[in-house]
Amino acid sequence: MSYFFQLVVSGIVVGSIYALSGLGFVLIYKSSKVLNIAHGQLIASGAFITYALTVWLGIPIYLSFIASMVLTFFLAMSVERVFLRRLIGEPIISVIMVTIGLMSILDGLIYLTPFGTENFSFPEFLPNTPISMGGVSISWTQLVGVIVTFIMIGAFSWFFKKSTSGISMRAVSDDQMASMSIGISVPKVFGMAWATAGLSAAAAGTIIGNITGLNFETLHAYGIVVFPVVILGGLDSILGAVVAGIIMGLIQQFASGYLDGNWGLNGTAEVLPYIILLVILLFKPHGLFGIHEIERV
Amino acid sequence: MATNRWLATGNYFTSYKDEQRIFFTHLDRSIFAVFLILLFAWPLFFDLSNKYMLVINNVLVAVVAIIGLNIVTGFAGLISIGHAAFVGIGAYTVASFVRVIGIDHVILTHAWPLVILVAGFMGAVFGAIVGLPAMRLKHLYLAIATLSFQMIFQWTINFMPFFNQGQTISVGRVYWLTGEVSRRQHYFFWYYVILVVIVLTGFMVRNLLRTRYGRCLSAVRDNDRAADAMGMHPGLTKVYAFGLAGFFAGVAGALHAYLYRGAGIESFTLHESITYLAMAIVGGLGTLHGSFWGPAAIRVLNLQVETVSERASALFPASMNLSTALKPLTFGLVIVLFLMFEPRGIANWWRILRSYTKLWPFRY
Repeated sequence: MSYFFQLVVSGIVVGSIYALSGLGFVLIYKSSKVLNIAHGQLIASGAFITYALTVWLGIPIYLSFIASMVLTFFLAMSVERVFLRRLIGEPIISVIMVTIGLMSILDGLIYLTPFGTENFSFPEFLPNTPISMGGVSISWTQLVGVIVTFIMIGAFSWFFKKSTSGISMRAVSDDQMASMSIGISVPKVFGMAWATAGLSAAAAGTIIGNITGLNFETLHAYGIVVFPVVILGGLDSILGAVVAGIIMGLIQQFASGYLDGNWGLNGTAEVLPYIILLVILLFKPHGLFGIHEIERV
Repeated sequence: MATNRWLATGNYFTSYKDEQRIFFTHLDRSIFAVFLILLFAWPLFFDLSNKYMLVINNVLVAVVAIIGLNIVTGFAGLISIGHAAFVGIGAYTVASFVRVIGIDHVILTHAWPLVILVAGFMGAVFGAIVGLPAMRLKHLYLAIATLSFQMIFQWTINFMPFFNQGQTISVGRVYWLTGEVSRRQHYFFWYYVILVVIVLTGFMVRNLLRTRYGRCLSAVRDNDRAADAMGMHPGLTKVYAFGLAGFFAGVAGALHAYLYRGAGIESFTLHESITYLAMAIVGGLGTLHGSFWGPAAIRVLNLQVETVSERASALFPASMNLSTALKPLTFGLVIVLFLMFEPRGIANWWRILRSYTKLWPFRY
């Protein structure tokens, strides 16, 4: 039984990170209807910026965490400004293609740095001994990671519900024409959505980097796993992304805990999310919390 | 009609049938014939080394795959981020034959055209399955479906012992009328095979676009509701577009397996899928001859980048991994720049050039 609870705990740890990554993805999709294929690269660059600031410049990790979020905020904003702003009004297909191109560009830029191929790990700043309770153990890094993740998710929800920019984002996602007519600058909202997505990506990246170590392959894989998460949650629902993220984390942990090694299966955690994705697309395409506004053509 | 059948001065179509012709003038037709003869004849006069022959063959295999991708992305307007997986289905069909009936079985060595066709059909089946969500959803979701198919494909190949866990599965040499195709003839032989396949697929697609089934695709792309009102079934059309794309991808994959005499996962990864998309965009989406420009441009660019990075890596510190960095960087830049400044691709330059030479010395 303690094995089960151990899987639940690690599932929640992984899942909360998925939730945070999925959140940024949904932010962009919700406001501008763009599938950001380059989200994993944003996550990775956020993590690498934090590492560079902490280790190479010697800034305390709390400060560099915040600084990295700010830097990625502006990075994502400028990405939107340079590449996506001039494509507003173009068919959605070319916008998605641009994010694919963007993914390649960011890949190339990251390969130019040592982070592209080498592995790094953050200096340990939390106690080394894991916390054990009734056979279930969780390391301090994981615990703090989960807490920070939930604080971030809470902050984002508040930002969406109460702040002016958040409300204008929701307005734009609801109806672009109507929000333009009441004086919301739609391009600005798109920029804002990308910027907040970058911010959340940096947070997610830093937390992943602290838990699993910095490896470019692992980090940008999060940008792909985010797809099953957001599809399960419903593409345009923030609550959906959070819930589905945790569900996906649990599913992955259970898969690798119970399926691997039996019946000749191996590495099921890597493939199960995508199988779930295809099944959801076939039978419940709007996911758990998505708006039922799907055109059947 | 008393128009000049060699040099048309303008459009004098009097029937829809006229407009649908493949070649508008006799000149077009003869230029095309000469071009085709040149393509078939040049290897007899130039003795290219195997290295360059491989590059050319590589481009031609990519052309077959891109014709398929162009059907689904260009003509039907659906993004496929898993095209390399469909190509991989074709290659691994050949590899499965090898695993099941042995590398020297007569089906693989003598009946290889049949194997290539079977690979095509396997690709079509998988394409249609992945396209099934199209019955209910629009393009954004389909892009995700193809992406997840790519991931599932990679996992299946990497973890199943039957597929040698992604390691190369060798494919044997084939026989032709004159006996076994030897090591020296290998690339020349496959050059001709792939060329014949390309000519066939080219005419197939060109003809497809003249029929209701082909025009159905662009109708659904341009306005699915209008297409629905005209009596087409948009969902089925999309599934069928995916099936068709899967067929060409499967054929390309089988050709790839035979050409390289093996199938390994590294040629069918997500990165390759993105490369295929880049080829389709650079060539020009929704044009047939864009499918020829794109692969050629990207493969040549790739070679250039490789040589440049080899030379430049001596000048930079080793930690910069210039060789791994430059490829994705140039790819990404090419995709983004083409989308921002020339969304219609190289095919558009060709069109401009054509009308320029046709109208010269006048400007329009």
